[in-house]
Amino acid sequence: MTASDPVIRLENVYTAYEGADRPTLTDISLSIGRGEFVVIGGPNGAGKTTLLETINGMLHITHGKAVVCGQDVRGDGVQVRCRVGYLLQNFAFDPLTPFTVEEVVLMGRYGTIGLFRKPRTEDYEAVKKSLHLLGIEDLAARPIGQLSGGQQQKVLMAQNLARNPEVLLLDEPFSNLDMFAREEINRLLARLVGSGITVLIVSHAFDDLPDRPVRVVVMQEGKIVVSRECPPKEVEQIVRNAGKGPSHA
Amino acid sequence: MLEFIIPNNIVCHAVEAMLFASVACAVLSVIITQVQISSIGFTMAHAAFAGAAVGMFLSLNPTVCSIVAGVAVAFLIGPLSDRARLSPDTSLGLLFGICMAVAIFFIAYMQTLGQGFSAMGLLFGDVISLYREEIYLLAVICIVAIAFIVVLYKEITAIIFDKRIAESVGIRVKPVYYAMLFVIALTVALCLPIIGGLLLYVWLVTPAAIALQFCNRLSTMFVVAPTVAAVISISGALVGLEYSLPVAPLTAVLFSAVFIAAVLLSPRRRVTFRKI
Ligand SMILES: Nc1ncnc2c1ncn2[C@@H]1O[C@H](COP(=O)(O)OP(=O)(O)OP(=O)(O)O)[C@@H](O)[C@H]1O
Ligand SMILES: [Mg+2]
Repeated sequence: MTASDPVIRLENVYTAYEGADRPTLTDISLSIGRGEFVVIGGPNGAGKTTLLETINGMLHITHGKAVVCGQDVRGDGVQVRCRVGYLLQNFAFDPLTPFTVEEVVLMGRYGTIGLFRKPRTEDYEAVKKSLHLLGIEDLAARPIGQLSGGQQQKVLMAQNLARNPEVLLLDEPFSNLDMFAREEINRLLARLVGSGITVLIVSHAFDDLPDRPVRVVVMQEGKIVVSRECPPKEVEQIVRNAGKGPSHA
Repeated sequence: MLEFIIPNNIVCHAVEAMLFASVACAVLSVIITQVQISSIGFTMAHAAFAGAAVGMFLSLNPTVCSIVAGVAVAFLIGPLSDRARLSPDTSLGLLFGICMAVAIFFIAYMQTLGQGFSAMGLLFGDVISLYREEIYLLAVICIVAIAFIVVLYKEITAIIFDKRIAESVGIRVKPVYYAMLFVIALTVALCLPIIGGLLLYVWLVTPAAIALQFCNRLSTMFVVAPTVAAVISISGALVGLEYSLPVAPLTAVLFSAVFIAAVLLSPRRRVTFRKI
């Protein structure tokens, strides 16, 4: 793989949920380069979450070709997931969840550490570093269930950064964050993108995107209806216009 | 193995059996309660019970039959829910009913044939008439259960945390999950003869429930649950044999008493009260 190869390449991909009689995503083609910042928009139920889980191989691809970080997603999704961070949508933990913040963040490296191996110094160092990146070092020893929703979201973000991912898939990462935290995370994302990490973010709020060209992808009814580069301030308009498009007429 | 402390052979064997069975069940009870698969554990215990009853009736090895039945149930739940369009909860309810029906039918039938005595052991457990090999086997399964948790600690704790997050960080969730069910099925089948099909479930849930009252870390729970279970089970065996009381039922009652005491004394509960 050379540097110019796309880090995510989907060709005519169909994805189906287990037990469903027809695919949820149909005929998806998408090519994303290293260090791109991708904003995914579209109405509820359009297939945004499904697209992210197709990319990291958590869902069954019935047709088509999917290559992420040079790995065939249909071959071994586990290899892909070790190199791709995925922040799940709407997560909240019960107050009695028996895990501390530090344990949760370390868990982000479990796949890369591999079966039958124990975490080593470098793993704990990566945990420290990503707690620091999110400014939550002081929460390290706290049980995750006793944190606020926004703090929990930051912990899961730190979990994903802990394995130094090449690609970050973020499903509505701002839903529980206050405006300061949002700005903070956005600055962090801009920095990550600057260092060559590819970020795909599903969001309904487009106001504080990083100040650089982004690619906007709009989904509707399991298809990609728009995929193009634009300045950040045009994203909202493009998503809006796509919503008024022919499929709603 | 413990003859040097307990000279009486019968008592010694009973204590050994209860020790190994309770430790194996207790470490697994942490998984069962935390992954929230207690209804699977429950159904597997009864499947093992039915398997043993059928095995006994057909003069096959009851232990092998209960292993087969327990494992079969673990692997049937998924497909059954899909095929019959039932929720996993409903299919477990169904399987549980079927297992009980089969077990009770064969036990009742054996009673009419005059083989009732050994069948009663399946219901309430029997710590007295154990073969030495059975105790060795219990020691082995105890080690297997502990080794399983030690070796796959990362994977198991991640699955306990959340199955989908475990998958997203690159853990092979399905094989580990099925290995979990397999070890539970093995343990259940081997502990069945001494604890009995009706009470086994107490050993598979109560130790973790007691530990949960005092621990807020998973690692401490994995230590506290088997320790508490071992103390209660050994006390049950010693007291039961000394005063000629049925050992497994007595121990089950002790477990419940300790659980109630734990809930009343729990520091975690006081925290909740203070918050309100
Ligand atoms: N587990 C599932 N099993 C079957 N179908 C599902 C499942 N999850 C989602 N779907 C279907 O797939 C379609 C796309 O869902 P998806 O969750 O990807 O939407 P989304 O764009 O992320 O929506 P939202 O903005 O509400 O998060 C929906 O029509 C939904 O009904
Ligand atoms: Mg979604």
